[in-house]
Amino acid sequence: MPTATSTTATATSANTSTSATSGIIHRLSSTDQDVKLKALRQLKNQIIGNRTKKLSFLKLGAVPSVAAILAEAVLAADGDRINSFNKNVIVQSAAVLGSFACGFDAGVQAVLDAGAFPDLLRLLSNLDEKVVDAGARSVKMIYQSKLAPKYDFLQEKNMEFLLSLLNSESETVSGLGASIITHSCKTSVEQKILFDAGVLKKLSSLLEGSLSQKDSSLESLATIFKDNPEVVLKFVGSESGKALSSIIELVKDKFARTRLLASLCLIVLRNTSPCYLQDIAIKTKLVNTLLELLGDPGQVGDEASFALSSLIAQKEDMQKLAFENNAIDKLYCHLQKDSLNPRRFEGILLALADMCSKLECCRSRFLSSQVLNSVVDAVAHDSADVRSAACICFKSVARSIQNLSAGSFLTEAVVIPLVRVLDDPSTSVQVAALGVISNIVVDFTARRSIFIRCGGVKQLVQLSKSMDAAIRLNALWALRNLMFQAESKCKEGLFMELTASLLASLICDPEPFVQEQALALVRNLVDGCISSVEYVFAEDGILLDAVGRQLQSALKAEIGIQGMYVLSNVATGEEFHKEAVLNQLIPHAETGAQAYIIKFLQSNDSRLRTAAVWTVVNLTNSLSPGAVDRLEILRGAGIVSQINNMQNDPCLDVKLRVKTALGQFKTLDTCLSHSS
Amino acid sequence: MSLFWIVIRQLAEIEAMATSKKVITREEWEKKLNDVMIRKEDMNKLVMNFLVTEGYVDAAEKLRMESGTEPDIDLATITDRMAVKKAVQCGNVEDAIEKVNDLNPEILDTNPQLFFHLQQQRLIELIRNGKVEEALEFAQEELAPRGEENQSFLEELEKTVALLAFEDVSNCPVGDLLDISQRLKTASEVNAAILTSQNHEKDPKLPSLLKMLIWAQSQLDEKAVYPRINDLSTATLEDPTV
Repeated sequence: MPTATSTTATATSANTSTSATSGIIHRLSSTDQDVKLKALRQLKNQIIGNRTKKLSFLKLGAVPSVAAILAEAVLAADGDRINSFNKNVIVQSAAVLGSFACGFDAGVQAVLDAGAFPDLLRLLSNLDEKVVDAGARSVKMIYQSKLAPKYDFLQEKNMEFLLSLLNSESETVSGLGASIITHSCKTSVEQKILFDAGVLKKLSSLLEGSLSQKDSSLESLATIFKDNPEVVLKFVGSESGKALSSIIELVKDKFARTRLLASLCLIVLRNTSPCYLQDIAIKTKLVNTLLELLGDPGQVGDEASFALSSLIAQKEDMQKLAFENNAIDKLYCHLQKDSLNPRRFEGILLALADMCSKLECCRSRFLSSQVLNSVVDAVAHDSADVRSAACICFKSVARSIQNLSAGSFLTEAVVIPLVRVLDDPSTSVQVAALGVISNIVVDFTARRSIFIRCGGVKQLVQLSKSMDAAIRLNALWALRNLMFQAESKCKEGLFMELTASLLASLICDPEPFVQEQALALVRNLVDGCISSVEYVFAEDGILLDAVGRQLQSALKAEIGIQGMYVLSNVATGEEFHKEAVLNQLIPHAETGAQAYIIKFLQSNDSRLRTAAVWTVVNLTNSLSPGAVDRLEILRGAGIVSQINNMQNDPCLDVKLRVKTALGQFKTLDTCLSHSS
Repeated sequence: MSLFWIVIRQLAEIEAMATSKKVITREEWEKKLNDVMIRKEDMNKLVMNFLVTEGYVDAAEKLRMESGTEPDIDLATITDRMAVKKAVQCGNVEDAIEKVNDLNPEILDTNPQLFFHLQQQRLIELIRNGKVEEALEFAQEELAPRGEENQSFLEELEKTVALLAFEDVSNCPVGDLLDISQRLKTASEVNAAILTSQNHEKDPKLPSLLKMLIWAQSQLDEKAVYPRINDLSTATLEDPTV
């Protein structure tokens, strides 16, 4: 394009467009009815399909003017003065308002704010078919936005009105009825009341109707089924499942959108009541239909991957079936296409994430192609949703123990973009990135140094001080995994970065989930060689005190478990360490309170019982000189008799530790009687 | 006879056919054809479907009066649709857009690709008429924002604007945009969108039936010699040549 000319063109275009725009606005308020009608039509033709124009007319206040014209015309029509001119004004202004509301939330808001919604609704009871059609179309546009007012199904007259819409001969009107349901039906009470009113029967009959009727009916049906097994049961049972077979049939429809909506409806039904649609042929059909729809160039293709996700998420059998139908390869093939729009990109990544969430065969297929490179690139994408999805996908793949063991993920090419994205402005991206890091730093090949070299630890420590609890939680989780079976040099570096006081304050975080992770981190810190036990005694033992305080007030079993393992690990140390643990366990005599460890030993959670007994085992190891005295203190606190009562614990793990403890008690008692 | 034996016998027959082609005489063939019952009403419907989809409204009206076949679409809408199509074919794109919006404002509001192609056609017409200033202004104001929304639109826009850079458009690499076929392409896209919005198939059924006939004959050619239809316009049965 010649640059010089285009610059001048910009200047002129700006001028002409502004004057043309304000001219239309001006003429909308003309007293000459013909001028007004012409301006309405002009406005309509300017904004349809054109988001930029919608926005500029919106800013100039076009919506309230048009709403006022509609209100006036409706009033005149009510006064029995409807003539073809008035009718034309109504149709044109309804079309203008509908277009402002079409796929444009700011427009929907403006139409609602201008008070036009009740006037548009009134058009539906008009006798003229064209007026009804224009009104229904505009109201439908509004109902396709989440900003639309919620329709109250619980009011009887509203339900009657809804049924009259669904029963209408006009496709636009019955489609509107379905849109209202899709938009407003949220609770199980509403689902039930719609079912009782016979709406499902009506919607099922629309499945035999025209293209648009089929589509809107499928959407509404899915809304009414969602998470309501009672309604699903009645639907499947009615007329020996005839309606269900029509939906299954529509999965093979020739229109892509209908195929997608029918699949989504069946997926909702299946996820609501897993006992239905277990037939292998239907499952395979769904998987293949969605994989094939990925190729659709439009919105259907964008949504197909999300539908696939909801079909396979958390379901190993479905993931396996999708794998057998080459889902990984097909998703990868679509991922490689140029200029993917962000929504489609996100969807494919999330579908891959679900594919790789459970099965190792999927992960190896994924890793054997070059998908990982594309995913790592996507971590730096412009769209936050894509970045987040890329991290979620990566996290899923990084569950592969096989590849973790091989250290496949700890390379600079992978680590550098991940550490960079820890600074992301979007919290959800940060959390997702922390999720990946948590997985990949569980490393068995001493390649953690790459992560540390890339500045990862500093970032994680910084994030553990975040205001956002989710970020603190995930940062600690990553640090915890980084600490897992780390060599002492690595631990030392981590501890220097973290400091005892920061860890102590995180153990006392207001969020229980954060407390749990902080305790688990300390547990890994003091695991292993004796020298690491010393960490909890730094800065006058503030860490150990914090652990003790948290155990005293622990409400969640998980906190008790992690805290007890910290004590248990410390109790493997020297005499001095064991004494310190004992001091934490046994409250000072003057308080008279029961030791919290008794509560843990009596807990319903077998994991907590195990951790508690284990601590006692470590304290009473008969090889250490102070063990005899410690046993006496434990006996005095009622702990020995409690453990005695646990010889037949239902949990084998607990039973085994109890046996060890009792054996040690016996040895110590024998020592005592010999020496006395 | 058990089902098993029936299957075996049929397989054997097909096997035999495969080795030496079966010959079907004209007599046999016509007898078979006469056995197939096709309802007159169905034939009429097929023709009506063709007339309606292709927009031959007068012919459709005559057929309805003569045969009582009801069209599956309001005939008045055909007139409107044809007016839109014709407007694009004559290069009156703005007029066509207004007509589509009167017909159903949803069509262009929910179909960005079609909307872009119509605007692009408007730009082409401006360039064709030598209105350079106006064309540039239009491209900037109306089309550039669409290009920002969609990468492939941007590429198409760049190609179209490139027309302005050439003195002799008949000899330039993007010259075919000025060809009449581009108008026809856009017109048929609008036509299809309107039909879809009216829940009507965008293609008539008759051509696909003819395609099926050709496919079926070529399948049969491998197995048998029979009176073939070679000329579809007359549908005369040619005698089998052995």
